[in-house]
Amino acid sequence: MSYKIPMGPYHPALEEPYKLDMICDGETVSDAKLHIGFNFRGIEHLAETRNYIQVIALMERVCGICSNIHTLTLCQAMEKLTGIEPPLRALYIRVVMAELERLHSHVLWAGIAAKLMGFKTMFMTCFALREKVMDVLQAISGNRVNYSMNRIGGVNRDIEDPLALLSMVEELEREMVHTIIPIFTTSTTATLRCAGIGILTNEKAISCGVVGPTARASGVPQDLRRAAPYAAYSEMEFDVPVEKAGDVRARLLVRALEIMQSCRILRQALTKMPSGEFNTGDGKIVFSTGTATSRVEAPRGEVVYSVSWKENSRNPARVHVRTPTFQNMPAIRWMVIGARLADTPLIQASIDPCYSCTDR
Amino acid sequence: MTVIDNIAERLGINNVQTDSSGVQWFDIGHRSVRELATAMKACRARFVTITATELPGNDGLRLDYLWDLNGHLLGFSFHLDTNSIESIFDICEATDWIEREVHEGFAVDFVGRAYEPLLLREGNNLGVNLREEIR
Repeated sequence: MSYKIPMGPYHPALEEPYKLDMICDGETVSDAKLHIGFNFRGIEHLAETRNYIQVIALMERVCGICSNIHTLTLCQAMEKLTGIEPPLRALYIRVVMAELERLHSHVLWAGIAAKLMGFKTMFMTCFALREKVMDVLQAISGNRVNYSMNRIGGVNRDIEDPLALLSMVEELEREMVHTIIPIFTTSTTATLRCAGIGILTNEKAISCGVVGPTARASGVPQDLRRAAPYAAYSEMEFDVPVEKAGDVRARLLVRALEIMQSCRILRQALTKMPSGEFNTGDGKIVFSTGTATSRVEAPRGEVVYSVSWKENSRNPARVHVRTPTFQNMPAIRWMVIGARLADTPLIQASIDPCYSCTDR
Repeated sequence: MTVIDNIAERLGINNVQTDSSGVQWFDIGHRSVRELATAMKACRARFVTITATELPGNDGLRLDYLWDLNGHLLGFSFHLDTNSIESIFDICEATDWIEREVHEGFAVDFVGRAYEPLLLREGNNLGVNLREEIR
């Protein structure tokens, strides 16, 4: 006999509201449907009513975790429409901010995953470490959530002494190497809880067009920092971790290895940061008519902005945002089919979903 | 032969232009969106998104289909005089949610597929979010 069991829109396993309706035969999920839209704020429409300064502040609020990534993507698109090229130092600062954001996002996710595994000590450890990453972000930007760093033509604040931050990054790296990564990669609890569940096959990952760590954990070696470098990524050396198993453990491993690569990139960016200006100043900004598209590799995967402008207008004509979770979420259906009901909270969390981003 | 030349030859397209953001725009001519989707699938391009834009006056809508091939962003524009275009969901399942979103945001009918509400709820007006004439 089949039962329909809803998870959400309000559920202890969900950080934000969405709904997963599951059809179960006994304890096994035989099909599922996803429902989103509970966080819909009409941001794409609101963007058309904001000028080129206000729209940056608006888009910073699409997501509470990767707020910097959204303004980075938007500013890159607007720079293409204005023909403004940010100075090299600004590109390095953008890399530093993007990688710190990836670190705190991955550690936050690790904490939530630990909570869903029933591993409360690890949850507390991850959140304590995340605080330290946010301390570094605060030291740079003065803010802990919406950093207000990006602007057309560069960044709003300089990193006056990059080498002073290096010691903070090295301390973070030490703690990650000695606590979080060994526990997630070698502990029996994490392995037994995550291995072999929520499998997304390589074929299905390609077919669904999933992005970011979700794709890389299913053997799709795709990372925009490598394939289509932006900011100063073309000057950084790093590896793109890829796992083939496609299960929750593979997603865990990919993120754990990405934490190490982020630390590696941060060390390079802080050490090699060139001197000079960090923005192009307050000159007049003139938009040309047209559409510009910009992409970056956010912690959850590819973010795409298509921005259209009409000449002499202060407001964009259209801002379309395609977030990584929007592309990844449909794959949850294929991950939970055949899974035990008790595993579904962890499986759906394993894509590191952001519902605010998805609904906009 | 470059990736772009390869795609252009496969689709029989001569006119390819690169915009300021590096997107390679292919002049699709009379080809249908389903022909495009089939060709993209054959060369293992990854579907990225569909951007719908309402054109000024009563000029209809423009749908920009974006695909990624080895880091190259490939763009294909379709002008819609009426509010409908063929669905490619059966060819490329990655388009499912974005077709549903454009359907709800711009009242575009993707012909040949069934819909379930995505962002809107049962009974809400289509196009209420992003179509100027409906707002």
